[in-house]
Amino acid sequence: MYNEALFYQSNLIYKEKNMDINFSKEDIAFRDEVRDWLSNDYPKHVKEKTDAGITISKEDLIDFHKALSKKGWMGYNWPVEYGGTGWSASKLYIFNKELGLAGCPPILPFGVGMVGPVIYTFGNDEQKERFLPDILNFNTWWCQGYSEPGSGSDLASLKTKAVLRNDLDEDYYVVNGSKTWTTLAQNADWIFCLVRTDNSGIKQEGISFLLIDMKSPGIEVKPIITIDGDHEVNSVFFTDVKVPAKNLIGEEGKGWTYAKFLLAHERFGIAGVGASMRQLNRLKEIISKLDNSDLQKKVNELEVALSAIEITELRLLSALENGGHPGAESSILKIKGTEMQQALSELFVEASGEYALMYPGPHGYENNDKPAGPDYAAEGLSGFLNLRKTSIYGGSNEIQKNILSKFVLGV
Amino acid sequence: MNLDYNDEQNMLREQIQKFCESEYDFYKREEIVKSSNDFDENVWNLFAEQGWLSMPFSEQSGGLGFGPIELSILFEEFGKALVIEPYLSTVVLSGTLLDKSTFSEKNDLIEKICTGSIHISLAYAEVDNGYDYLNPSTTLDSKFVLNGTKTLVLNGSNAEKVIVTCTNDDTLNIVVLDANTPGVSINSFSTVDGQSCSEISFENVKLNKSNIIATGNDAANLLKETINLATLCICAEAVGCMESCYHKTLEYTKGREQFGQPISGFQVLQHRMVDMFIESELAKSLLIKAMLEVNNRSDEMYKHVSALKSYVGKSGKLSAKEAVQLHGGMGVSEEMMIGHYLKKMISIDALFGNADYHLKTFS
Repeated sequence: MYNEALFYQSNLIYKEKNMDINFSKEDIAFRDEVRDWLSNDYPKHVKEKTDAGITISKEDLIDFHKALSKKGWMGYNWPVEYGGTGWSASKLYIFNKELGLAGCPPILPFGVGMVGPVIYTFGNDEQKERFLPDILNFNTWWCQGYSEPGSGSDLASLKTKAVLRNDLDEDYYVVNGSKTWTTLAQNADWIFCLVRTDNSGIKQEGISFLLIDMKSPGIEVKPIITIDGDHEVNSVFFTDVKVPAKNLIGEEGKGWTYAKFLLAHERFGIAGVGASMRQLNRLKEIISKLDNSDLQKKVNELEVALSAIEITELRLLSALENGGHPGAESSILKIKGTEMQQALSELFVEASGEYALMYPGPHGYENNDKPAGPDYAAEGLSGFLNLRKTSIYGGSNEIQKNILSKFVLGV
Repeated sequence: MNLDYNDEQNMLREQIQKFCESEYDFYKREEIVKSSNDFDENVWNLFAEQGWLSMPFSEQSGGLGFGPIELSILFEEFGKALVIEPYLSTVVLSGTLLDKSTFSEKNDLIEKICTGSIHISLAYAEVDNGYDYLNPSTTLDSKFVLNGTKTLVLNGSNAEKVIVTCTNDDTLNIVVLDANTPGVSINSFSTVDGQSCSEISFENVKLNKSNIIATGNDAANLLKETINLATLCICAEAVGCMESCYHKTLEYTKGREQFGQPISGFQVLQHRMVDMFIESELAKSLLIKAMLEVNNRSDEMYKHVSALKSYVGKSGKLSAKEAVQLHGGMGVSEEMMIGHYLKKMISIDALFGNADYHLKTFS
């Protein structure tokens, strides 16, 4: 009954599509093109700062994004018909990894990664023409209006209200409420918001997706300083803000569908493998000089775990390229990738020893002489404190485990 | 890049799964564990009939010419079913070492392994020598007289032949001899996971040149590569165990009702099972990397097997401990399968260098 040995022998010649962990020649050529860009066209003044671990300015970030636009890579995740690159999953992975390895700042996701795909998927032609080119050229800085003071992980409970009015034949919404944890709202030209347009049904219904000009009267941005001392996130208050009805994406009441679509788009590359590899390599170098077997063991453990995360991402990639769909498994990458970023930053702090006591803030010793102690101490602490956010944002890691419970465990 | 198994590999996995379901359930395994042999002749013959005992050998030696990928599939499935048959000692440790050697009688021995008519054990470990297998204290003198003691020889009690590592004037030698050669004494005992192993002493055992399989660098490379492949195999076994721990725990919590509902409804248990699932997937990723490196015989194959071994040593035990905890009292009952995964994980971590050792080797 099990005597199938001969069958296997005769089948040897049909071994098709064998496992192969290497990228194709085309992909390798693409990787080299990315590396060329990084050594020649990645703005030098930005590179110098990120190499030195100094927080970069708004202008630096704009220069970085404009350089990507110039190369035609801003639409890294967009289809060609909207001016994107149309890259395969492999190329997208390589692009992310190489930029991370080179220490580039993360590409701001709010325009190109989030609202852009929502606009080209659910927006009308006028909205596409009006917004998409400016996103690709980084002429507009977008921010995200999702979370509210009372709506964090339970996002659908949001209360910011938009009421449709008509004056002198002009349709517009009047928006009242507040958004919070709004990243870099202080720099933003536009905000995309989830607003409540109906209270009658279940909470997921009655949510709409609205684009709002940050210069509109009635918007107030107040900084929230995070525990690393930096001003990265804000509260945004809306008081009788008038928003033209033509800024509504898709249909009124369908905002939750668009929001979920957007979150699925946000997930790719969230493991941050390239950036973590860069941090790991720096840590290995630092720790090899310390002669401390405890730290050595910890850095080895992280190296093994990072390799496991990388190959897990490649497995998803391979499934995608073989026609599969990444399921809830991408939640694994969110959870483990962010835990890795945090663990690496914590090891920088541990490697600083007693110098972890001193903390000049997120901008380092810009304004006074650097005291004694390792160069990486201040940067390590600022990273450690700043990166606590990673397991909280983008659907907290506990929410990711709920997702996995539902879709993988089936409970 | 393609990280999906090919059709043939998927069929092989299915075939092993079907076999384990119908011929090797937990009760059958219990019977074998309690028997005096620690393996089942009939099962071993079925292994031979299906070609599993010929899998890793080159086609010139009469094998199927399969590599580390197929071996990993086999061991993953063995891990799920907690198979205790001495495949590792006879086929992987002894068989592949012989196959890769230039030993003159290797074809005869491999043919016997393929047909299931011989058991051979590799005696590589010694007391007080740690994981340094390349410098054994067992000696072979210039007149080919063997002296020394080997420990933890897997399946030593059933072995008709023993392959022994020894030094001859500071040079590593690998020799093969009949287990009943005068001067050989064997003391056998059981392992934590239901297998058996032996302490074997060699007292003035007289051999000759024809007993030598390899010497010097050849011997060292042969031994290193064989142990590396065997390490990969038991890591695959661990990955199979981890997957089963997660599946069986999920199944159990879905059926077990307390406080008027299945306990799988409790979020605290759900998140722990999600962690088991994640760990099992990450271990699988490292397995894929390691087996492909071994398959390509890359310069980094030792490094990646060490990474995998250190990972499953830690997270495999963790998964098995969680499985026991989530099964409650059932988890600690000898008659339930779940606790046996924990014992398996202990034995896997102990073999060929534990998690801490491989974490050091890795860097």
